[in-house]
Amino acid sequence: MNGHSIIIALTARLALLSSISFGAFPTVLPDVRTFVVTTHGWMTNQDFADFFALAQAIPGPNMILMMSFVGWKVWGIPGAIASALATFGPPCVMYFTAYRLWDRLRAASWQRILRAGLVPVTVGLVIASGTVMARAADVGWQAVAVTLAASVLMLLTRLNPLLMLVAGGVLGGLGLL
Amino acid sequence: MEDGRQSVTRVTLGALFIAFLKVSLLGFGGGLVWARRITVEQGRWISEEEFADILSLCQFMPGPNVVGIAVCAGAMLRGLIGAIAAASGFLLIPWTVGFSLGVMVLHYAHLVVLQNILRGVSSVAAGLLIATGIRMLMPHRHHLQAIVVAALAVGGIGFAKLPLLVVLFSLAPVSIAVAAFTNAKAQ
Repeated sequence: MNGHSIIIALTARLALLSSISFGAFPTVLPDVRTFVVTTHGWMTNQDFADFFALAQAIPGPNMILMMSFVGWKVWGIPGAIASALATFGPPCVMYFTAYRLWDRLRAASWQRILRAGLVPVTVGLVIASGTVMARAADVGWQAVAVTLAASVLMLLTRLNPLLMLVAGGVLGGLGLL
Repeated sequence: MEDGRQSVTRVTLGALFIAFLKVSLLGFGGGLVWARRITVEQGRWISEEEFADILSLCQFMPGPNVVGIAVCAGAMLRGLIGAIAAASGFLLIPWTVGFSLGVMVLHYAHLVVLQNILRGVSSVAAGLLIATGIRMLMPHRHHLQAIVVAALAVGGIGFAKLPLLVVLFSLAPVSIAVAAFTNAKAQ
C-alpha cells in the first residue's frame, strides 16, 4: 500500500466504525486494534495500549485523541487530522439530524411516553458507568473511600469538582491509593 | 425551534464555545459531569428535563456521547450554528493542545507516578459520575417504576457486567411499555 491508499483505508475504516459505535467509541476499539495491528501491522500492540493510556490521561475528547495518535503513527500529522475527522464527523451529522427530528416531533404524545420510558434507563446507565469506572480505578479500600467521598461531596456540597479531582491526583501521586 | 422550550435564555455563540471548551478540558473520564454542571446548574440554559432528554437521545446514537451533548445543546439553544459553535468549542483547542502534548509525552507513558496520579483522578471522577447520575434521578424519585428501571440498569452493567447494548435494548422497550401503560391508565 502506498501512503495515500493507507490513509484512505484507515480513514474509511474509522468513519465506518464511528458510525456504528453504539454505546460510545470504546465498543469498537477491539476492531480498530485488529485493523491497525493484526491486519495491517501499522503499529504494535504496545503502541496501541500506550495510545489508549495516554488519551485517558489527557483531558479532552479522549477517543478522538486516541484515534489521532493512531493516525499520526500511520501517516504523520495529515493522518492524525484525517483520523480525528473520521472519528467525530459522521456521529456529529447523525446527532444533529436526530436532534432536529426529535425536536420537530416534540409535541407528539408518543414522544412524551418514549421520554418517560427512556430517561430512567439513561440515568441508570450514567450511574452504572460511574461504578464501572470505579471498579477499574479503585484497587484498594482507600480508593473506594475516595470515590464514595467524591460522590457524597458532590451531592451535598457546592465544592468545585475540580478541587476534588486535584485532591485525587495528589493522593494517587503520593502513593496513598 | 424554540417552541415548547421552557428556558428561553438567549445564549451567545461565544458562550456556547467557551462552555464546551470547559466541558472538554475539565472532563477527565468523560465530560458528562461538567456538561450538566455548566449548562443546567450554572448557566440555567437548559432545564433538568431537557438535559435528560438530550442524553437519552445521545445514548441511542453511535459516537462519543459528550460530543453529542454539545451538538444537541448547541442545536437546542441556537440551531445549526449553535451546534457548530458548541462542537468546535469541545474539539478545536482541546484537540490541538492534547495532540501536541500527547506526541511530546508518549515517551513517558510508563512512569509509575504518572499512572498513580491518573488512578487517583479516576477514582474521584468515578464518584462524580455516580453523583451526577443520582442528581439526574432526583426529579423522578417519586416514580417507583423509574427508580426500578434505573436500578436494573445499574445492576445489569455495574454488577452483572452485561454489555451496554444488551442492557440498553432490553431495558428500554420494557421501560417504554411501562410508561405507555401508566400514561393510558392516567387518561
